[in-house]
Amino acid sequence: MGTTAPAVVGRVKESVAARCGGAVLSVTQPHADTLRFAIEKAAMRAAVEELVNKFQARFIISVGTDRRPLTGDFAILHLFSLDRAHLYVLLESPVPEHDPRIESITEVIPGANWAEREFRDAIGVDADGHPDPRRLLLADDWPEGMYPLRKDFPYNYQPPRAQNVRPQMGGPPSGASVVPMGPFFPVLEEPSYWRLFVEGETVVGCDTRLFYNHRGIEKLGDSVLTYNEIPYVAERICGICGFIHSTCYCQAVEKAAGIEVPRRARYIRTILLELERIHSHLLWLGIAGHIIGFETVLMQTWRIREPVMWLCEEISGNRKTYGMNTIGGVRRDLAEQIKPKLLETIAAVEKESIAVRDAIIGDATLQARTRRVGILTHEWATKICVVGPPARASGVAIDARIDHPYAAYDEVPPQIATQEAGDTWARVLVRVAELLESIRLVRVALTALPEGPICAEINEEIPPGRTGVSVVEAPRGEAIHFVLTGTDNRPYRWRVRAPTYPNLQAMPAMVANASIADVPITLGSLDPCFSCTERLETVDRKTRKIRVYSHAELLEISRGKAQTEGPR
Amino acid sequence: MTAWLIKTSLICVLNVAVALLLSPLAEGIMRKLRAAIHSRVGPPITQPYWDLFKLLGKEDLRSTNGIVYAGMPALTLSSVLLLATLVPMGSAAPLAFAGDLIVVLYVAAMSSVLIMLVGFSSGSPYAFIGGSRELMMVLCVEPVLVVALSVGAFKAGTLALGGIVNWQVQNGPSISMAISGVAFFLALQAVAGKLPFDIAEAEQEIMGGSLVEQSGPRLALFRWALWAKQLVLAFLLVEVFFPWPRTGIFLVDLVVTALKVLVVLVLVAVVDVVNPRLRIDQAMGFFMRVWVSSLAALAFALIGK
Repeated sequence: MGTTAPAVVGRVKESVAARCGGAVLSVTQPHADTLRFAIEKAAMRAAVEELVNKFQARFIISVGTDRRPLTGDFAILHLFSLDRAHLYVLLESPVPEHDPRIESITEVIPGANWAEREFRDAIGVDADGHPDPRRLLLADDWPEGMYPLRKDFPYNYQPPRAQNVRPQMGGPPSGASVVPMGPFFPVLEEPSYWRLFVEGETVVGCDTRLFYNHRGIEKLGDSVLTYNEIPYVAERICGICGFIHSTCYCQAVEKAAGIEVPRRARYIRTILLELERIHSHLLWLGIAGHIIGFETVLMQTWRIREPVMWLCEEISGNRKTYGMNTIGGVRRDLAEQIKPKLLETIAAVEKESIAVRDAIIGDATLQARTRRVGILTHEWATKICVVGPPARASGVAIDARIDHPYAAYDEVPPQIATQEAGDTWARVLVRVAELLESIRLVRVALTALPEGPICAEINEEIPPGRTGVSVVEAPRGEAIHFVLTGTDNRPYRWRVRAPTYPNLQAMPAMVANASIADVPITLGSLDPCFSCTERLETVDRKTRKIRVYSHAELLEISRGKAQTEGPR
Repeated sequence: MTAWLIKTSLICVLNVAVALLLSPLAEGIMRKLRAAIHSRVGPPITQPYWDLFKLLGKEDLRSTNGIVYAGMPALTLSSVLLLATLVPMGSAAPLAFAGDLIVVLYVAAMSSVLIMLVGFSSGSPYAFIGGSRELMMVLCVEPVLVVALSVGAFKAGTLALGGIVNWQVQNGPSISMAISGVAFFLALQAVAGKLPFDIAEAEQEIMGGSLVEQSGPRLALFRWALWAKQLVLAFLLVEVFFPWPRTGIFLVDLVVTALKVLVVLVLVAVVDVVNPRLRIDQAMGFFMRVWVSSLAALAFALIGK
């Protein structure tokens, strides 16, 4: 399991070469599971068509890199996964500075929609023929022509003030009225703005503006921080799956630099990753209950969850944001005396989780609210390239722990749960099954925990110009970190894609013709994590009208605060 | 005549006082119970009093001008207090007269209609949706109340509430009254705005619905009205459908009735806490079925069961 079939690598190489002919500049295989093509940009779309149509490749993300200091051009890289073959395929095109555009691939694979808008915003390479070329991640008052991820752009730049900017949002179809949901809304823990177009109680369409939470993390990673500082920032990408992001980053660097992580460290990472999945599943279950007004589920699941947090605190010193990861392994050992307590707590959590599962599964009203609600068809799930429980609940059997094994998952393989219905109820069932599976995995990994060192010794500098792609299956789907190593002891480019990024793109299809009452639970069933998804910029911004203050005054106040308390 | 007037006004005052002063306590007990089922400590039982106290002391902000809009909260609370004088609460209803059943139904619907109007006139899309959901709830819950009470009226052969209660006390339990009692209980769950029927407020969907724009003293009066209404209707349920045992001693009857009301409210709170919120179409379908069942109760009444 987990080894890349050389036959598939050969077929992919042949196929792409046959389709693109002389446009293929080079083909390399930096790692056993990574195949990298450099292609002229004119042939990019053809190569993508080949991968998607012939190999059912799953689009993951695009990475735009400003390579001008190195080679004088930009690079656009589309990252694909051939899940069954355990292979990543990287298609990279140089894009000259004088003609910063590349053909859009969104029509070939709709899941590339946001990724292409993002590299346009971040480094200024336009996707030609993109169906919706609006801003994605930059704030609405961000000046035109400023591309924050370009290398000549200072990380601490503050844009000039703008007046009366609003998101460019679509209007409702005739006969429909607008119900705004957000940017701040009771069931959304984080800001996101959905404009629902409704006729009566029926949603006939929606438009969305997200990325209110940019924090400039990627920019910090390749301009200020060093390799070993980034895990701590990566951990803060998300308040729930922090360990997942720091593991994912460390693995990407380790892979790029060829560092072998000791077995014990890989097991400790596995145990912590699964503990994080357990408490995240319980947290989500509670929030899902809260969204449909079922507070008892919220209160009980969070009560069950609490001992897991205490356990994490005992292992790492913190309930959350453990600070355990470092390049080459982990920073703290798992003490022998904690084992019995861990097993005991896990057993108690398992018992109570089963009780909750049985209560939920037998609840007719709960089913009435979730069955045939927010259906994501198998077809759309593959087109949008959704990941994690939403994908598995729509019959797409992908799981990074099996498709691209990392940590100790090659030795402790998980069983994955899938459902075919694609509705909210299916997503509930998948996540409840995964909760119990994670409990089993912790137990197995703990029993098999080998002796040995917990961190590799690293004596040499990490060589520049290497790439590493790493995935970690977060509770809500797969997180991806891409690292291109650089000089000055920091990555040249560090790209993060959280699972919510593809999953949210499926939302418009899921709420079409739904009732307003079903929109919150549909969104909630994706377990959206906005701060995960929105890592990029550094502008603080509050708009929305308020009666007492004028718009300009409010802007003034919010900016004054941003300047005194924000980055220096 | 004067003695009658004094007695009537005294009971009026008593009923209004119970509705006003004890309804926050009932709400507090229900909250405490919710918390217990949630494995929480929960707020003190007196918390609703403090909530009202705090809200009444806040600034009065209005999203719309106009004298009708300004008077809505007071009107809503007064309609509920009027209802309290029409409902027997431990003793005969103070303002009893022939045909008062119909007046009770109208007055009970008044507060729902007023809250709906506040929603429509608030100028917020959430309040508007809340108002239209309130309207749909009224349309499907009212018929249940009407049929449930008419079963009693049919059996007792009178449209006076006092007459129905007396008939019940004398004739003991019957199948038709038990069925319509259950139907009335479900309608009470909806009228009190409790789960699974708190659809018109639905904080997670439409941020409180009709009342989203209400704050401070206005919100306090609306809340107070809703709490008082759930208490008064619980009295109505107990008195019309489960009036036994009746000793004839005023104080004993009062205490027994109060205890029965408490049981009803505890049941309301338990149903509230073990259910998620239904969608409006599902709730309407549900009450359609309840209505059909209460028609069955009417059929039972026809054959004298």
